[in-house]
Amino acid sequence: MSTSSVSPNSTGIYLLSVSNIEKYFGGIHALSKVSFDLKAGEIHALVGENGAGKSTLIKIITGAYTPDSGEIHINGNIYRNLDPIQARNLGIAAVYQEFNLLPELSVAENITLGAQPIGKYKLIDQKSRSLITYQLLERLGAESLIDPDELVKNLTVGEQQLVEIAKALAINARILIMDEPSAILPSRDLDRLFSVIRHLREEGCGIIYISHRINEIFELADRVTVLKDGQTMATKNVADTNQVELVNLMVGRPLMDMYPKKESLVGEVILEVNNLCIEGTVFDINFNLKSGEIVGLAGLGGSGRTTICRSLVGLANIHSGEIIYQGEPAPRSPSAAAKLGIVLIPEDRKTYGLVLNQTMRFNLSLPNLNQFTKLGILSSLKEKEAVQMIIKKLQIKPPTPNISTENLSGGNQQKVVVGKWLMANPKLVIFDEPTRGIDVGAKAEIYVHINELTKQGVGVILASSELPELIGMCDRILVLYEGRLVGEVHRENFSEEKIMQLATAVNN
Amino acid sequence: MVMSLLNTRDTTNSKTRSVRLLRNNASIILIYTIILIVIGIAFFVNENFRSPSNLINILRQSIILGLIAIGQSMIALTGGLDMSVAQVARIVGLTVASIFAISGSNPTLIMPLIILGLLIGGTIGLLNGILVTRTHANPFIITLGIASILRGVNLAISSTPIRGIPKPYLHIYDYKIGIVPLNVLVMILVWILVYIFTTRTRNGRALFAVGGSERVARLSGINYNKTLIMAYIICSIFAAMTGLFLLSRTGVGDPSAAEGMDFQSIVAVALGGISLYGGKGSIIGTMGGVLLLATLSNVFNLLQVNIYYQQLFLGLIVLITVAAYKSPRSS
Repeated sequence: MSTSSVSPNSTGIYLLSVSNIEKYFGGIHALSKVSFDLKAGEIHALVGENGAGKSTLIKIITGAYTPDSGEIHINGNIYRNLDPIQARNLGIAAVYQEFNLLPELSVAENITLGAQPIGKYKLIDQKSRSLITYQLLERLGAESLIDPDELVKNLTVGEQQLVEIAKALAINARILIMDEPSAILPSRDLDRLFSVIRHLREEGCGIIYISHRINEIFELADRVTVLKDGQTMATKNVADTNQVELVNLMVGRPLMDMYPKKESLVGEVILEVNNLCIEGTVFDINFNLKSGEIVGLAGLGGSGRTTICRSLVGLANIHSGEIIYQGEPAPRSPSAAAKLGIVLIPEDRKTYGLVLNQTMRFNLSLPNLNQFTKLGILSSLKEKEAVQMIIKKLQIKPPTPNISTENLSGGNQQKVVVGKWLMANPKLVIFDEPTRGIDVGAKAEIYVHINELTKQGVGVILASSELPELIGMCDRILVLYEGRLVGEVHRENFSEEKIMQLATAVNN
Repeated sequence: MVMSLLNTRDTTNSKTRSVRLLRNNASIILIYTIILIVIGIAFFVNENFRSPSNLINILRQSIILGLIAIGQSMIALTGGLDMSVAQVARIVGLTVASIFAISGSNPTLIMPLIILGLLIGGTIGLLNGILVTRTHANPFIITLGIASILRGVNLAISSTPIRGIPKPYLHIYDYKIGIVPLNVLVMILVWILVYIFTTRTRNGRALFAVGGSERVARLSGINYNKTLIMAYIICSIFAAMTGLFLLSRTGVGDPSAAEGMDFQSIVAVALGGISLYGGKGSIIGTMGGVLLLATLSNVFNLLQVNIYYQQLFLGLIVLITVAAYKSPRSS
């Protein structure tokens, strides 16, 4: 097997080409007629909103998912049932935001993990292992930065990322997928990452570069493909496009009439957040919320949306600043918050919303047991009545209180999470991604219930990565970028372009 | 269309309900079926087994394990295991016996010392609970550490049996109301109370929630630390009660009292279908586990099966049941 890199004159050859990819997850059409190609010696950026289908496409290219139809060509050959091992052998490697490194092992051990050089007596040849590692790091220009014998846990995030890239080179990767590599890096490490990526392009690798930061694409990439709602919107030469056009391609869609925004009576301020700082994630946030109002939190992944949501029910370590609810410091634990009527409908329903192996009834009544308790004993009759009422109200299907929640569809699971808090008669509800991964019908129903809450004077915070949802539902939208509040847009000024520009820090 | 779908669901509802009832309680049905089979076989094989006094005896023998196992059930529901229960029972027995001995078998001390014993149990439970919630370490390891400390203390108190227990205390274990022993009644009462606690109170529900998912429980307004600490206190108090009963039964402060009870209680809990991963199961299942173990031990003794084989058998049961209720992640 040759260890030399691809010669630079191979530029222009298609390393990878996928066409008309279709992928369904249950009833959800994740990818629809998606086409994408990658030449040797190019950096091809892949952009799109959360849920646009980027990860699904990447998983198809790396063999983790099999598409329902469509063709995958790699190096000119067609592959129908690509699996991860095959993809790896074909030189496809991915560097994700979460590294696959063993922190207690050395750099050299990590890099050669899949293919340890074997020497005398079938033992690992430590000398050649270090040498191989050194050569790989040299290709990245990092040989003076990283010692092959250093333990990975002692490296900075930027250095660990280089080790991940070196690991990819160790399997002779010609197609390198980088999933938001800049999101985890401090800005001083960015230049080094970019020069490494450019160097790999010189060597003839094809690089798929995923990023939410539009300006990086113009700095780095040769071509860009925009995905939206599982479809390819366009593939363009970066030289032929501009930031505003890209943003429009990412978000521009007909707004469906599924947001029954009703005018509710906006009342007094019930929540004030002053100079809120949370170690390392959220900086100097100021906003307030009135009763009957829906305030949206917009921002890309990692912008601090979820952290702010969690801090409102006492789930974050507040470094400085204060949260005032009804004139008093906000409670510092979810149980205390629930007593005051502040509830969080969390982003990941399977991890934070439901005790999955328990019944619908158990989950619905969990925060509301007080309502059914008399002299310390639960009245199962009262419980049953209340549970049946909420099941009917939210039209949860099947309407069987004793069904285990793991057997429900995503939309119905989410309804159970929403329902358990509706039963608690909250005063302030924080929705974090309330409609992620659920079908359109269930989405619309959840919006109806959000509106019903505000009609009753409940204050609502709606954190979402879906701009149409925010624009359809909110009175005001706060836009976050890397933990800072970078803008507040009022309903009369709502536009997806404006919010996306704020959220991606595009200046124009 | 939708309406017709709903209608068909309604007509099949009663059928699916009974199917679900069977499926949800499969482990309980299984354990009681096994008990019936074991009893059935023993009934024909050994005529001594049949006598009413032997059957009452099985119930009496199950008291000691029953009390400990019911506490262990609560810990198992939270997703933990309490490895200190046997040592708690022992330290209570030894402490009470020592004070009786020093006081010259003074019968007026019976009530105060029973209360003292329960307090000792509660305190150790509190300690277990605080350590588990503060360190977030595996409860198995924490309670194993506590058990090791208690074992040391127990050896320091006495390595030989302590005599001098007042006569009236010895009668507690033997006292009968009609034909039914008092302690059997106590156990039945305890089972009923704990059943109500786990199924019909907020704190009982909280046990399941905490074991099912710590994060969901916290976000649902359940006080996670309080729930866990409460579970460990209750578990240790039951262990202390076991120690007090054992002292009454043996009549001496026994430095080897409750030997192996920590393991056996886990066997009973696992047999009864409480998931050792937490969050699922029923006290009724544990009761089945206890009864099965007591019946088996009785049958083994009647058939004069070697104690070594009994031990081996116990180990096999654990491995088989844990494999049967394997981790939800692996499926």
